[in-house]
This record gives sequence, C-alpha cells and structure tokens, in this order.
Amino acid sequence: MTDQMVAANPTGIFDRSKKGTRLRPVVIPIERGRIRFFARVLGETDPIHFDVGEARAMGYPDLVAPPSFFMSIEAAANEERARLGQTPVLKLINCDYRYLLHGDEHYEYFGLMFAGDEVSLTTTIVGFYEKKGGIMEFVTIESSLSHPVRGLLIRERRTLLHRLG
Amino acid sequence: MTESTPAAAKIGDQLPQIVYGPISRTTLALYAGASGDHNPIHIDSDMAKSAGLDDVFAQGMLSFGVLARVPKSWAGTENLRAFGIRFVSMTQVHDVITCAGEIVEIFHDSGEKRARISLAATAQDGRKTLTGEAVVALPADLK
Repeated sequence: MTDQMVAANPTGIFDRSKKGTRLRPVVIPIERGRIRFFARVLGETDPIHFDVGEARAMGYPDLVAPPSFFMSIEAAANEERARLGQTPVLKLINCDYRYLLHGDEHYEYFGLMFAGDEVSLTTTIVGFYEKKGGIMEFVTIESSLSHPVRGLLIRERRTLLHRLG
Repeated sequence: MTESTPAAAKIGDQLPQIVYGPISRTTLALYAGASGDHNPIHIDSDMAKSAGLDDVFAQGMLSFGVLARVPKSWAGTENLRAFGIRFVSMTQVHDVITCAGEIVEIFHDSGEKRARISLAATAQDGRKTLTGEAVVALPADLK
C-alpha cells in the first residue's frame, strides 16, 4: 500500500480530525526554582541560571532560562489546561505513550526568558502524515511563546510519531 | 589546536565538546520532574515492558537540552538564534553521550554575522542519538 493510499484511509491512532486545531493561549509564570532545577539536571554550570546577583551583574533582569526550558513551560501549560478543564495537547490528538516517539524538535529564538516573566503559549496542531505504509504515523505541532511587553520569544515546531510495527 | 572563539570563528572550527552521563534512572526521574514531562515510558520499567521494550529509555529532550549547551555555551545564550535536531536513535540507561559541534557556514542575515553549527550527540559505542544544527549570532567584523 502506498503512503498516499494510507493517507486517504488512515489506520493509525492519532485523531486526524484535530488537524488545524489552535488551542487557547495559556499564561505561565516562570519560576526561579524551576530554572535552577532544570539547569542542574542538564549539567549547566553557567551562573546566569542559578545566581540572581550574577545574572543581574551581567545585565539580565533575573535568572535566564536555558534554551531548552521551553519544554518545561509547555508541560506547565498542559497542567494549566487540565486545571482549567481543557484537554492537553497529547490527549487531544490521542497519543498512545506505548508507541509514541519524538521525531524532531526545532526552535527559533527571538528573545530570552527570565525568571519572573509571565509568558503566553499558543499551540496549533498543523497536520498528520504517515510513512512505511502506515507503520509510522506522524503529527506536526507548532507553538509560539510570547511575552506581553517583549513580544515573540520562541517559535517551536516538533514532530511526534507512533511506531506501530 | 587553538580554541575557537566567536570573534575569530571560521568554517571547520570544532566547538568544545560536552560529555554527559552515564545516564542513570535517577537522571531520568530528575529530568521528568524538572521538565514536567511525566511520560511513564522513561521512568516506569513496568510501563516500558508493557510496551514491549526491555527497559525504560532516556527522554529525547534530555539529550536535546545537553546538546543545546554546546552552541549556547560557546556563543552565549542571548546569541542563539535557532536550534533544531532530529532524534535518530534511542538513548539508553547507562549511556554516556558526547555532544559535539562544528561550524559549517558563516553568513549574514537580519543585519548580523551568523554561524551555522552542525551538531551531533553520540553514545559511548559510536551510536548517533541526535543530529541537528544551530544558528548563532557572531560579533560584527571590525571595519
């Protein structure tokens, strides 16, 4: 079976009807403790992630979040959605953790994230596709993270997949 | 070999490597807590076995975060313009990953001098786990 034939009649697990869904923006506060914990697990030693005095001496308003801290904000956004009675992204598209893999992850950076910021995350389910006759099915998700004064900080795009064979 | 600096960056320069690990189950639990990604496949071996795996495996985003340190530490956090990777194989418990970067292009964009850096994370047995690239802003050339 060709990928086109599978696409016309998908047999996977993802809920294809969610294509194009744009989730309501969620506002997330960035906490110092969370930055420190995250940076420590990654083996960071740069004081701008740990020491407020050092960060300020370098000209930053507060602790600077590491580049991959976006992940933590996204997880917090999912928790916040759950608290508000909204469906988290992965549940919305019907991810099955037993088969779920992360295909790729891309960030464009327009500004830094600091402790004390309240940032807004907007997420869109871009679409679905498959490879290898449907044994692998993919979803592309895009998010934008912005600050009310400094504007867009990060644009993110990721591909997740179910490996079904 | 002399250490590459952003001010004197040229194609072929190797960035300082970062070696991370061995990755323990504790590391995986801590990353789950720190990132908020509680996907049980990385922290619950019963769950991993029910999915037909022998054991838990590391979060891709853990290696992603360590690999991001390579261009970020070299160029400075505020100079990172883009970072993207593909997950090419699973990172297993006990793996030691070496994160490396090499400058492959120097160009101008949006009024800045920039470098494109090719990146890879490699496990102790030579398995590539992540490949990708970063774009960083460099100091302007002196006129």
